[in-house]
Amino acid sequence: MLRKGDIVIIAAVLVLAVFSAAFAFSGGGGETVTVKADNETVYTGSLYYDRTVKLAGNTVVIENGSVYVSDADCKNQICVNHSPITKKGESIICLPNKVIVEIE
Amino acid sequence: MAKKITLYALFAALAMIFGYIESLYSLSFIAPGIKLGLANSIVLLLLCGGDFKGALAVNTVRIILSALLFSTPFTLLFSLTAGIGSTVIMRLLSGRESVSVIGFSIAGAAAHNLLQLCVASAVFGSAVWYYTPFLMISALISGGVIGALSAVIVKKIKTNRYF
Repeated sequence: MLRKGDIVIIAAVLVLAVFSAAFAFSGGGGETVTVKADNETVYTGSLYYDRTVKLAGNTVVIENGSVYVSDADCKNQICVNHSPITKKGESIICLPNKVIVEIE
Repeated sequence: MAKKITLYALFAALAMIFGYIESLYSLSFIAPGIKLGLANSIVLLLLCGGDFKGALAVNTVRIILSALLFSTPFTLLFSLTAGIGSTVIMRLLSGRESVSVIGFSIAGAAAHNLLQLCVASAVFGSAVWYYTPFLMISALISGGVIGALSAVIVKKIKTNRYF
């Protein structure tokens, strides 16, 4: 029942699905996590790419589409106690170390 | 002419009922906006008969009336763009010998979803493009199912000399 042109169409849609998935889940577009220390960007990557970013005084963890600070060497520990951020525009700020973690 | 208009009216009514039945069994829990596209089988049927004008007319009437009855003018923007765009895409492919109804049904479904994403990204911002992979896989499945269904219907109905 399927003809040659049908196979081409199915292949084209599949390719589109795979490429858009690769783009969406590799940090190519959409929500990205930016970590700045002392006004310098030290890390940018997709919100959906799990990893741990170690800085001089803080450790930032990106996990399952949420970001939190797991460790900080400062006294107040405000950034560590901050609940994980998941949405565009949210940020965690560590004033003593001048670290800003943002979802853009 | 009168027979044709009556037939179009019947098709438009049937397509609206399909759309209504679909809205009762929403698949949106999988991903926002995912649906089977039962109403598209009517458009496919008309395109198989080589009646592009009829397909476009029935689809446009269905979309406008459904929006008036069941949804808001805001969603009309989405459905009208996608509905007309996908009908044109399917028309371009339906004339080809190498493409069966399953093929242009899938192409139409993919075009429909992509056009809705275009409108959505203009309204809500580019974050909506994250849905592209889900919507493409959904187009493949729903377009394939509706295309196969239409192939069966076309086979049965052709002997009745409607087209």
